[in-house]
Amino acid sequence: MDGMNYLSFAYLGMIAAIAVWTWTIVSRSRSIEDRLAAVEASIGIDPAQADELTK
Amino acid sequence: MRTMRGRSPEVLLFAGFVGIASTLYLAFNWAPSVSINAFESPAAQRIFYWHVPAAWAALIAFTVLFIGSAMWFFKRNAMGWKLHVAGSEAGLACGLMVVLSGCIWGAAEWGTPWDWSDVRLNSFGLLTLLAIFLVLGRRSQPDGVETRDTFAAFGLYGFILVPLTYISTRIWQIRHPGPVGGIGAEGSINGSMRFVVLLGALSFTLFIAGHMLVSMRITDMEQRLERAQKRLDGGN
Repeated sequence: MDGMNYLSFAYLGMIAAIAVWTWTIVSRSRSIEDRLAAVEASIGIDPAQADELTK
Repeated sequence: MRTMRGRSPEVLLFAGFVGIASTLYLAFNWAPSVSINAFESPAAQRIFYWHVPAAWAALIAFTVLFIGSAMWFFKRNAMGWKLHVAGSEAGLACGLMVVLSGCIWGAAEWGTPWDWSDVRLNSFGLLTLLAIFLVLGRRSQPDGVETRDTFAAFGLYGFILVPLTYISTRIWQIRHPGPVGGIGAEGSINGSMRFVVLLGALSFTLFIAGHMLVSMRITDMEQRLERAQKRLDGGN
């Protein structure tokens, strides 16, 4: 494979990999945030004071 | 709804990602070509603009892992455990980026993706394996003081590989190119090359800082969720 094509392929692969990784971790954060809000709301905890109440 | 300050990890991630993309654009279109006589594959040398900043970010992540492990192991500090988790996950991601980009370059330049006799390749490979062990091990074990102590101990002792990796090409120049920055560097890169590498290092630093902050937020929310669910199960 030509040098620049090899490099382009490698760079695109790596940038796609970090984009997928970033998307995964941000999605996981949002999913847990939603679950936490639902559970805390069901037991009547104000999210702003959750740490104080659940210690 | 989160405030702008609460979204600062995402802002760092976005800024870092844009910076990394800009670095790659400059690496392709602006950075000068290297001497065709000095390299087997001069085009593949441009992988350096990814490989070196990613290695820099990996060393930041492993330093955070060490500090977090020490804070947990010696002080049982909750923030220390969050740093341990964030450092190990970021260290794994950056370690894989460094190892993969190094293999791509090695295959083009050396004709082999790996050299078992090169100290830096192998010490960095071990660091990445340590991060894999910490991330996978933690996910397969129930969370508790003993589990955290075990993983924190590995995080503490594994850090010895960081200075070993840093000094390895200064002591043993086997196959890996010598240092181009810092103490003992040969200063083999010119001004525009240095600019692109520094932009890459800054971008990867912002990116990895954003990732570690998101990771710490996730650990915090998981702990809150566990406590809230226990309270729910207990009927309180």
